[in-house]
Amino acid sequence: MFQENSARGHFAMTSPSQTAVTKTDTPGLGPDSATSKKGKNGALAGRSPGQLMWARFKRDRTGVISAFIVLSFFALGAFAPLISKFYGKDPWTRYGQTTPGLLVNQYPAGPNGGISSDFWFGLEPGLGRDVFMQLLYGIRNTLGLAVAVTIVSVLTAIVLGVAAGYFGGRTDYFIGRLIDLLMAFPNQLFYVAFVPVVTAIFVAPEDEIPFWMRCTILILVLWFLGWMSLARLLRGQVLSLREREFIEAAKISGASPWRIIRRELVPNVMTPILVQTTYMLPNFVTSIAGLSFLGVGLVEPTPDWGRMFANAADYYHNDITYLFFPGVAMVLFIVAFNLLGDSVRDAFDPKRAR
Amino acid sequence: MLRFLVRRSLGAIVILLLISAFTFFLFFAAPRDPALLACGRNCGPDALAIIHKNMGLDQPVPVQYWHFMAGIFTGRDFAQGPCPAPCFGYSFATGDAVWNTIVDRFPITLSLTIGAAAVFLFVGLATGMLAAWKQGTLLDKLFSSASLVLSSMQIYFIGPIVLTLLVYNTNLLGQPKYVPITEDPVGWFMGLLIPWCVLSIIFTAQYTRMARSAMIEQLQEEHVRTARAKGMSAATVFFRYAWRGSLIPIVTIFGIDLGTLFGGAMITEVTFALPGLGTLSIESVLRTDLPTVMGVMLFAATFIILFNIIVDAAYALIDPRVRLA
Repeated sequence: MFQENSARGHFAMTSPSQTAVTKTDTPGLGPDSATSKKGKNGALAGRSPGQLMWARFKRDRTGVISAFIVLSFFALGAFAPLISKFYGKDPWTRYGQTTPGLLVNQYPAGPNGGISSDFWFGLEPGLGRDVFMQLLYGIRNTLGLAVAVTIVSVLTAIVLGVAAGYFGGRTDYFIGRLIDLLMAFPNQLFYVAFVPVVTAIFVAPEDEIPFWMRCTILILVLWFLGWMSLARLLRGQVLSLREREFIEAAKISGASPWRIIRRELVPNVMTPILVQTTYMLPNFVTSIAGLSFLGVGLVEPTPDWGRMFANAADYYHNDITYLFFPGVAMVLFIVAFNLLGDSVRDAFDPKRAR
Repeated sequence: MLRFLVRRSLGAIVILLLISAFTFFLFFAAPRDPALLACGRNCGPDALAIIHKNMGLDQPVPVQYWHFMAGIFTGRDFAQGPCPAPCFGYSFATGDAVWNTIVDRFPITLSLTIGAAAVFLFVGLATGMLAAWKQGTLLDKLFSSASLVLSSMQIYFIGPIVLTLLVYNTNLLGQPKYVPITEDPVGWFMGLLIPWCVLSIIFTAQYTRMARSAMIEQLQEEHVRTARAKGMSAATVFFRYAWRGSLIPIVTIFGIDLGTLFGGAMITEVTFALPGLGTLSIESVLRTDLPTVMGVMLFAATFIILFNIIVDAAYALIDPRVRLA
């Protein structure tokens, strides 16, 4: 999401919140979506909305392939330490400096950035670290952060969006104005400016900033402007749902507002939540990478996807291979995730044919 | 219309006040002394005291905020000397007036944005509509898949590749740089050509996708079917009826994008080392130059809000059904 069109979630540090690409999802897959159950021997077998969605999704070849690519990225990130063990290298050791002959005048000696059977993706110019390991651990850290921000943002959006839609009145008014206010923040600049400021609040300047603290701050800052578009979307959906008969029935039977929200409303808005989540996550990935590129993300020696681009900027005149691998990996990941998002949306919406 | 503009402007002022207050209090109310941040590592008590006095940091934060806001409209007096009307204070790092720095840097961001916006709006709409016109053909599929891949590109990835191909390896173009248009229009154009193209690649791809889907949606509308049924030619219907309807979502997004870009296209400016507002803000952030960050933040937020109002007003012009009460 750190592309220049940030304001709508593609970075331009586009924060997903402001992207608000309101997909018109039908909220009708809920409890009353008449799944006919005629017993086990009957001609019609009952299928839950989830099963229907899964059946439609499986038929979508693009969706399955992109899901496979996306899952491989997560698997690579999750198993990075294991892969490191088999591969025999780690992302921190400066192989180029410890082993003479690998680097000549800062640059890898071999052709194509020093790609060889020992160093699959070559060597980092200057420090001489292994690019494959750096990328793997970089993906691990970036995806971990992005997943955390997405979870926090989605939860916030559910709480505030559903509350605004269900309670209406003053609650709705204040949440609505809060969303308006946060939408007016220049989010790219906000992320960049507030990472150091929030860090200064928590950590004294002379202290070393612990790794977990950096992560927490990044999550906090991205979350702050990350939840609004989903919240606004959910508010609209809940606003129309709360007039429906099944909510009325629940109210008459004496259910508490909390129970109605939890058992009646939230299950009915799961579709837009899932769809929006698949759009939010890649945006957060690019945002985090953009922050690192600009120098306010994770710092050395923590391996980081986005910072590889910043490092590459110093060397690409003479060695473009170092830029190539993180770049292609990111394009692949974002394309696959966007395709996956489209497929998930189509699978949930029976009316929409591709 | 006038009432709408007045009401929206009042709302905008409230939002700007809230943003400034939020930013100011977070910056200056932090338990850390902002002067200490400004002063850096080798900071003696003397230098600290001077900064304190210059910035008025010895007063309570709400008073400082009041002085800051009043300074924007009336100007204020610092130890360095008077700071005339739009006064955003003096930079911690360079000692220059923040407003003057912003005014110096803004033409670069403005040139970058206007050039890129012209490219991506024109090319994006044209390819998007062509794809919708030829919906389902090979051309459509080509455009759609190209825009899908290109919209997933990152500027810090394609920027260096384009530079390597066109500048370092072939010397077809010079290193991107900014020359004021008043001094040398050709140099201005040539210097910004690469940044314009790279910045607009991603936007163009997104506008292509947007224009295509908006157009296809419009072509299924009933008024379009009626027009066709009345015997109008496909071209007339396409360009006079469907086109107008498809503009509405695009205008919204274009307004948001333009407003955001005017506040500084950070990644692009850093990638091509153009000293615009984006570079200024990241420089100031890395030096914890709070007054400059604050100034750029308010400047950028003003543009975002301004363009939101313009977009809403533009609705009424494009879509006669929209009435601004």
